[in-house]
Amino acid sequence: MKYVLLFFAVIFLYSCWEPFKKNYPNQAPLQKVWGSKPVYAAENIAKQIIYTAQKQPLKKAGNIYAFGKFIFQIDVGRGIHVIDNADPAKADRIGFITVNGCEQISIRGAYLYANSFADLVTLDIANPANLREVSRIPNAFPQFRFNYPFVQPEEKGYFTCPRTDSVVIGWVKDSIYSDCYKN
Amino acid sequence: MKMRLTAFVTILVISICAMFYSCTKEATSSSASAGKGGSLTRFTIAGSFLYAVDNNYLYAYSLNNPAKPEKVYTSPVGMNIETIYPYNKYLFLGTQTGLFIYSIDTPAKPLLIGEARHARSCDPVVANDSVSFVTLKSSGCGPAVSGLYVYDINSITKPVLKKTVELPDPVGLGLQDSILYVCCGNAGLKVFNVKSPFLPNLISIKTDGNFVDVIPYDGLLICFVQDGIILYDITKPATPVLVKKIAN
Repeated sequence: MKYVLLFFAVIFLYSCWEPFKKNYPNQAPLQKVWGSKPVYAAENIAKQIIYTAQKQPLKKAGNIYAFGKFIFQIDVGRGIHVIDNADPAKADRIGFITVNGCEQISIRGAYLYANSFADLVTLDIANPANLREVSRIPNAFPQFRFNYPFVQPEEKGYFTCPRTDSVVIGWVKDSIYSDCYKN
Repeated sequence: MKMRLTAFVTILVISICAMFYSCTKEATSSSASAGKGGSLTRFTIAGSFLYAVDNNYLYAYSLNNPAKPEKVYTSPVGMNIETIYPYNKYLFLGTQTGLFIYSIDTPAKPLLIGEARHARSCDPVVANDSVSFVTLKSSGCGPAVSGLYVYDINSITKPVLKKTVELPDPVGLGLQDSILYVCCGNAGLKVFNVKSPFLPNLISIKTDGNFVDVIPYDGLLICFVQDGIILYDITKPATPVLVKKIAN
């Protein structure tokens, strides 16, 4: 009896594999369309923390955080703008911390905590000239992994389904094959 | 137009009703050496702990060694957590299905002590000793009526919905003394007097930007707008004065 069941189980499972053997002869080829194409970076480069002591343009405004005479504003997915607020009437951006995949921030003492994709990173901000990453907890927030700002392009329409073995750090418009679509 | 009507009705209701005073202490945030975030944040520091939420989980990280946070707690909360707001010994979690209140008397072990369910929507929270203010934004989030929801939290384990003010897609909000600032995108920053918290009184609307979130901080209202930051002087909280706009 056992062997009869096993036999049918194997037949049944085999039928599941069947579709993968076909070369999808009936499926129409993907069309060339105007859409969004991912910009990839190697993970170790995408996760580099860099401080630029120079005002940078804001691309997509995100969360704000007040700390002493400074205001920090997230540039969604790109990093953190540093704003000198010593004299509010003259407050302005003075620098930018590149933290790709970043959306959240909190500060205590000399340390800034932020997410970089799904990781929790700790930055020592005591001395801007020597601003650096002091620790990183990989995959601290597993759900951010598929939920970080550049997982999908901002615009609706066709986009190239991103590869899962690389990090997306932006999107550009191009002529692409119509494989993914954002409503 | 709808807004004006709501405001009018609110003012009318207030003028008819007898005013009652409720103590609303200044909302202060956590410890001395931490900064202050807005109401849309998923990270917050209280004492020597960093609390964070992703879609379904609440995490606590000990900052005993501030250079190397250490995870001490993880707990599933529910579906679609969006924001976390600390007040005194509590964490207020705004989720798409309701308001959750955690006690952090034992900082490394947050304990769920109260919740108020509502129809699906997006909702940041601010709170003080006796009241919690929640904005629900229905567009793209769910069927709930967009607006400001005021909960009585005198009994913290049983938040009671006391008042709803219909607003078009409100987002972040901030509380300074008895003044509540509610961001309504392009419809402006709505300034409410909430001395009687269950009868919020709209006193003015600022239309200098597309408002998303605010932080009342040291006499200054820091506003996150779609194209950057706007600063208002709120030494007199009821009458914000434009100080600076930092746009692209």
